[in-house]
Amino acid sequence: MSAIDRRDFLKLVGAGTAGAGAGFLVKESSRDRREQYIPYVATPEDYAPGIATWYKTVCRQCNAGCGIQVRIREGRAKKIEGNAMHPVSQGRSCALGQSGLNVLYHPDRLRTPQQRRGDRGSGSFAPISWEQAYTSVAERLASLRRAGKGERIAVLTGTVQGHMHDLLEIFMRGLGSERYLQYDFSSPESLLAANKTTYGREELPYYDIANADFLLSFGADYLSHWLSPVHHGMAYGNLRQGAGRKRGDVVQVEARMSLSGANADKWLPARPGSEGLIALAIANKIAGGSGGLSAYTVARAASASGLTAETIEELAVAFTTADKPLAIAGGPATHSSNGTANAVAVNVLNAVGGGALVANPSPVIGASATNRRAGFADIRKLIADMSAGSIDALIIADTNPVFSVPDQFGLRAAIESVPFVTAISPFVDDTSAMADIILTPHSALESWGDDAPQPGVGLSTASIAQPVVAPVHDTRALGDIIIELGRRLDNNVATTLPWDTTYDFLRAQWRKIYDARAGSLDGMNFEEFWNSVLQAGVWAEERKGPALAVTSGVIDPGTPVIPDGEFSFHFQPYISPIFADGRGANLPWQQELPDPLTGVVYNSWIELNPATAKEMKLKDGDVVEVSSASGSLRAPVIIYPAVRPDVVAMPIGQGHQHYGRYASKRGANPLAILNDTVDRDSGALAWCATTVSIKSVGERVALIRNSGTPRELGRSILGPYGEGGKTRHESDDDHG
Amino acid sequence: MAGIVEKWKKFREPGYPGKFDYHWGMVIDLDRCSGCEACVVACQAENNLPIVGEKQFALNREIKWIRIERYWQGEYPDAKVTFMPMLCQQCDQAPCEMACPVFATYHNQDGLNTQIYNRCIGTRTCAVYCPYEVRYFNWYTFKWDEPLEQQLNPDVSVREKGVMEKCTFCIQRIRQAKDHAKDRGGDQRVRDGEISPACVQACPTEAIVFGDFNDPDSAVSKAAEDKRNYRVLEKLNTTPSIVYLSKVEQHG
Repeated sequence: MSAIDRRDFLKLVGAGTAGAGAGFLVKESSRDRREQYIPYVATPEDYAPGIATWYKTVCRQCNAGCGIQVRIREGRAKKIEGNAMHPVSQGRSCALGQSGLNVLYHPDRLRTPQQRRGDRGSGSFAPISWEQAYTSVAERLASLRRAGKGERIAVLTGTVQGHMHDLLEIFMRGLGSERYLQYDFSSPESLLAANKTTYGREELPYYDIANADFLLSFGADYLSHWLSPVHHGMAYGNLRQGAGRKRGDVVQVEARMSLSGANADKWLPARPGSEGLIALAIANKIAGGSGGLSAYTVARAASASGLTAETIEELAVAFTTADKPLAIAGGPATHSSNGTANAVAVNVLNAVGGGALVANPSPVIGASATNRRAGFADIRKLIADMSAGSIDALIIADTNPVFSVPDQFGLRAAIESVPFVTAISPFVDDTSAMADIILTPHSALESWGDDAPQPGVGLSTASIAQPVVAPVHDTRALGDIIIELGRRLDNNVATTLPWDTTYDFLRAQWRKIYDARAGSLDGMNFEEFWNSVLQAGVWAEERKGPALAVTSGVIDPGTPVIPDGEFSFHFQPYISPIFADGRGANLPWQQELPDPLTGVVYNSWIELNPATAKEMKLKDGDVVEVSSASGSLRAPVIIYPAVRPDVVAMPIGQGHQHYGRYASKRGANPLAILNDTVDRDSGALAWCATTVSIKSVGERVALIRNSGTPRELGRSILGPYGEGGKTRHESDDDHG
Repeated sequence: MAGIVEKWKKFREPGYPGKFDYHWGMVIDLDRCSGCEACVVACQAENNLPIVGEKQFALNREIKWIRIERYWQGEYPDAKVTFMPMLCQQCDQAPCEMACPVFATYHNQDGLNTQIYNRCIGTRTCAVYCPYEVRYFNWYTFKWDEPLEQQLNPDVSVREKGVMEKCTFCIQRIRQAKDHAKDRGGDQRVRDGEISPACVQACPTEAIVFGDFNDPDSAVSKAAEDKRNYRVLEKLNTTPSIVYLSKVEQHG
């Protein structure tokens, strides 16, 4: 019984004497706050207790753009599954995608806008109302604009796909600023640069892994977070055991065995940075010395990479004898100081050896979205501008660069020097902790949006993202925030944003898509078209992309660096299969998900070759200090059987200063100690190009792992042909 | 061995038909499995598995009805690893069933090895008997940090302290499919492919096939005929309902 106290009672009676209805008020206030289960008189169409409804939308946990469907019971999201009709996910999903529910119901999600209280970066905020938040941000922006300083406002976002990008463009025009950048740590910058060199198009082709029968991957962890993990997962399953085909072979060339390397038939630990030379040597071998590749001999590749000449020649034979060979590049190969050159070398190999690549047709929407894709060079320019005092206001949305840009580049200090920083972020993370005002957006499952998946899947597709549940907190959709801020700037800007909500804006854009196709839609009206796209979750058109024409030759990858002197190890941070580039670290399901290769949860670690560990007298759990020329960190050692002896590998993802209760101040961030090395051709951050030293600090921690005995020990767990048996299956030709 | 199975099935009568209505089972192809762990999170979401926290995880008290095991072979530079999803094998001759002093775990009419939570008194004997180590004990009544509890699946009960739990093959989905089959009329049987447990539905590489082993034409029965087939720890004679297909290894 929630009785009112005496003071409230007297107040109510006092109020009551002034007018009628006092009795009603008193009665209402003193009533039991009893919750009653009363069925609706007329239930909403999609609400029946005990019966689930499913809504299709788009996953925003990474940039692959998988179609998903969400199970809703009694108005709450219960489960995410893949959308079977969507060409990217085809009904499948990944671990990080499933954890989208953790974002929606995260206990540390900001429930209202926030105003900074402590120092920048302290993470101390106080809640304010939306009116206060809008007023303080819009006034600041409007006064800059009135003073003719609109171009001193910068907007930095993560990858914004679909029409939301157009909305931001309109907003930026209203501000009078050209400074609109989309930056994502995992954006395949050097791959795009390489494709521009080789094919003249800054796009990703469709890598037809599903139908390849020989896949040669240079560091691309396609089963983890390389471009489109769910789609590649399906492709991999088909490559291995697809019905009616010969089992495809997979070879992975990389210094540290990734998840994809673990699934390969052969893992070749080449020296970091030598991948391009290997690819060119194979291409040279295939071309038989012609095609201007004669300088790239097998002997040169062998000495640079540490692989034997026979191994490289075998790869050339496998590539030529395969019906549908395919070479791909990613991860460390494309993020060293010669990343673009390595990716170009792999393109050349595909061109010479007939790699199974298909150009993507132009997308249904979002062709312009790539225009604002910021390279790392643009980020460095932004940092320089901020440090020079030429930015007066910064708006950061949906990205965490303070975490992902190495400290050496001085981003944190640059942001600190900006007079007014607004973050549009659902969490206090490393970056939004630096903001003066945080505007709290809807999660992906609460907002309208759309998406054209990048990379495409050989089809022209677009999907609409619809809200699957009512907003959990007092948040606003990103689009609504932009529209509202724009309208408050002044009347001229308001007229360029004639929509009341993101929904209206989106419908207007899709009406254009409809209009362009109205003739071919069998007399379907716009409502029917809109509803059918919502229902299917996707709109796809069969359209052929242009043929991939090779326009230019090789870029010399150069000789790989051999670390010596003080810093005698290659440092290879890698994108964690669990946390991606760190964005998943705040999710409890992800924190408690064991790393597939080491079984570790809740921590950071570095991986050392058994021989290196033995030489340095290190055991599992011994804490070491990893030092580069730019900084140092501490992490426990894991002895990892599949990493080169001259490599120290470490997963990216942990080490957040601020990111909610599950991630804050947990582990260490390898990106923080990277040198300021960039890819010499594209300017992309070369996050695999730092060299380090390690030394024991004489401490031990108990690593939390779910691994039991790491070996089979004659138990035949992996089948009758397991360890100790002669062979599992010598020939694979008869599997179908 | 077939004789023993028949005897055992007979022994379970009365209360159960000599032949199960269905015999739910899985085929897991290790040559497809990439170890991505989508199944692990899918199960966590579907079956209301708690987050036990760092401290409890360190004491091996995590609750994961399905986990990815990894087995290394060879040494650098020829090190190889094979991933293996491990979950309750729904054994026909389940050691855990024989062990339970209060019959909290029993065999149902679909050949499923089932746990009755409110009968369980938490002796943990079954977990000791299980050779696959796929039974998980609730050492605490785990809490969901508000509002994470809004995600909980209302079709699955939330377990509390002192109760053993394990994979159910997503029995809530099986029940739903059976209800639909009943409503549909006709033979009132669930058709092949109508049920996907959460792990099966999520798996990007389509490594897991689920279905009825009693139906010789089902996808799962067909898949189990592959010559790479085996059951884990077969010599223990637990007759699991999960058939694995071993990884193909290349030589030379």
